[in-house]
Amino acid sequence: MLLASAAALPLLLGAAGCRSSDVFTGPDPLAGRPPLGHDVLTLQAAIAAEENMIDLYQLAISGDSGTSRARTLRSLLAQHQQHLVQLKARLIVPPGASASPSPSSASPSPRASTVSITRLRAAERASAADLVRRLATAPPALAQLLASIAASDATHATALGG
Amino acid sequence: MASTGAVAALQAALAAENAAIFGYGVAGAHLTGSSQAAAEQDWTAHNQARDALAAMISARGAVPAAAQAYYQLPFRVHDAPSAIRLAAYLEDGVTRAYLGLVAVSDQRLRRFGAMAMQDAAQRAASWRGSTQAFPGLTPLVLLALLAP
Repeated sequence: MLLASAAALPLLLGAAGCRSSDVFTGPDPLAGRPPLGHDVLTLQAAIAAEENMIDLYQLAISGDSGTSRARTLRSLLAQHQQHLVQLKARLIVPPGASASPSPSSASPSPRASTVSITRLRAAERASAADLVRRLATAPPALAQLLASIAASDATHATALGG
Repeated sequence: MASTGAVAALQAALAAENAAIFGYGVAGAHLTGSSQAAAEQDWTAHNQARDALAAMISARGAVPAAAQAYYQLPFRVHDAPSAIRLAAYLEDGVTRAYLGLVAVSDQRLRRFGAMAMQDAAQRAASWRGSTQAFPGLTPLVLLALLAP
C-alpha cells in the first residue's frame, strides 16, 4: 500500500514495531499539543505582571486625580502601557493555548484607597527585580526587552521617591 | 553567545564607560554646586565600572581596550544646561552598551548587564528630569518589533 490516510498511520507504524517519533524528526505530531516554550511562559508572566501594574496605577490615579502627583502617575502609567504593547507584540501563542495565564490569587485587586505611593514604589522595585530574574529563561532579544523594562521600572521607583 | 561574544560585549561596555569618564570631565567643568557634586559622584561610579569591566575582560584571557585620548562630543558643551544634556547623553550610551551584555548566554553576565543598565538609566533620568519607557532600546528597534 503506497497511500495511507493519516488515521491509519499509527496502526501501520505499530504493526511495524515503530513509534511515530521514530519516523518523524522534530515534534511528534501524534503526541498532542506540545507544552509552551520557556519564552512564551516568560512573556505571559511579564504581561500579567504589567497588567497588574497598570491596574495599580489606574486605581491610584482614580483616587488622586487632578493633583500634580496624579500627573506624574499618569506619565509613569503611560510608560507601563507602552511596556505592555511591546510585550504583547512578541507573544505568539500556539492555536488552542491560552493567551494569558489566569490571574494570580496571591495578589488580590486592591481598592483605590489602598494604593499609596509607597505601594507603587514597592511594586516597581519588585517588578524590576522579577524581570531580572526572568532573564535566565529568555532568548537574547526578549532578555534585552525585559532588561530595558526593568531599568524603566527602577527609574519609576526613584521618581516615586525611592 | 560564545565566550568571544561575551568578551566583545564586555569590551563594548568598557568603551562606553571610558567615553563617559571623558565626557563627565567636560561636563563637570561647566557645573557648580550640587550638579557638580552629582557629576563627580557619577564620574567615580563610571571609573569603578571601568575597573570592574577591565578585570572581567582580563579574567577571560583578553586585553581590555584602552581609552581614547579624545572623544568627539555630540554637541558643543559651553554652559550648565548643555553639560547636563551631555551627562544624560552619556548615560544613554552606557545603558545601550550594557544591553549587549544582557544578550550573552552567561547568566551572571546577563544579570550584571541588567543591573548596570538600571544604574545608568537612573542617572540618565536624574539628569534629564524624566523617565523613559525603554532605556537603552532605540525607537527603531521597537518599531520593527511592532511591524506586521
